[in-house]
Amino acid sequence: MERLSSSNEVIRLVVLYVVLSLLVPLLPWLVSGIGTAVYQPKKKQELLQREQAFAKTSDVLSTLSKPLSGKEVKEYQVLMTNVVMSPSWIQILVGGILSLFGGEINVFTKVVDWSRREAQQRLREQAAAGGYDEVINVRMETTTLSKIRGAKDKTTGIEVLAYGTGIKY
Amino acid sequence: MQPQVNIPFSNTETIPGMTITQMMGVVTGSTVRAKNVFKDIGAGLKNMVGGELKAYTELLQESRNEALYRMLVDAQARGANAVVNVRFATSSVAGGAAELLAYGTAVVVQ
Repeated sequence: MERLSSSNEVIRLVVLYVVLSLLVPLLPWLVSGIGTAVYQPKKKQELLQREQAFAKTSDVLSTLSKPLSGKEVKEYQVLMTNVVMSPSWIQILVGGILSLFGGEINVFTKVVDWSRREAQQRLREQAAAGGYDEVINVRMETTTLSKIRGAKDKTTGIEVLAYGTGIKY
Repeated sequence: MQPQVNIPFSNTETIPGMTITQMMGVVTGSTVRAKNVFKDIGAGLKNMVGGELKAYTELLQESRNEALYRMLVDAQARGANAVVNVRFATSSVAGGAAELLAYGTAVVVQ
């Protein structure tokens, strides 16, 4: 009876060891998966709500170099917002696999689109905070932040910059 | 905080309410910044789940203001009193560093 329980203990320990040794390297990927499936949709939902709050009036951003209404500009200021976004590990992995086949890499499209929307929304919010009626001549710029080759740090991201001239009539 | 240069600048072709009398050439200001190792630890962890890397957003914002400031100093040195058509450009240099460039046309306005 005693031998049986002790062999049970050994089996339990072995199982625990195997599970742990599998789990520890997989843990970051697990976190990444949760981040992709839960955290990112939550943030996107928040962004959508912020956008909807501003969508009640017509959009203040325009790429024209002069206000369309032709009103006289009383005050102006260059407004500039940026955001650095990164795809999650899982997205980088899936994107890497998909890029072998070519065509559209949907996971990266989503991240780039998200960051551009975020930058534009921040520009709208900044214009509203400063009391500007319109933001003209909006330009957008995208850059990749490269990882350091050969170093341990593998952080990558894309930066989206949106800037324009905020004007008051 | 850097000292302020009191030169109006605009993203558009003119300064509203003023006329351009003289052109003083293209002025540029640039800065190359590398990622901060200590801030990188947090960013590296955030990279795992994806989403915004706030440390980098702030870093690039600061650096871009620095580039803008240098451009304005350049304009002032040329005797201009405004900069029009300001554009920003960014490129990543090797080794995790990024170059931020601001350029525009220095003009004299009245």
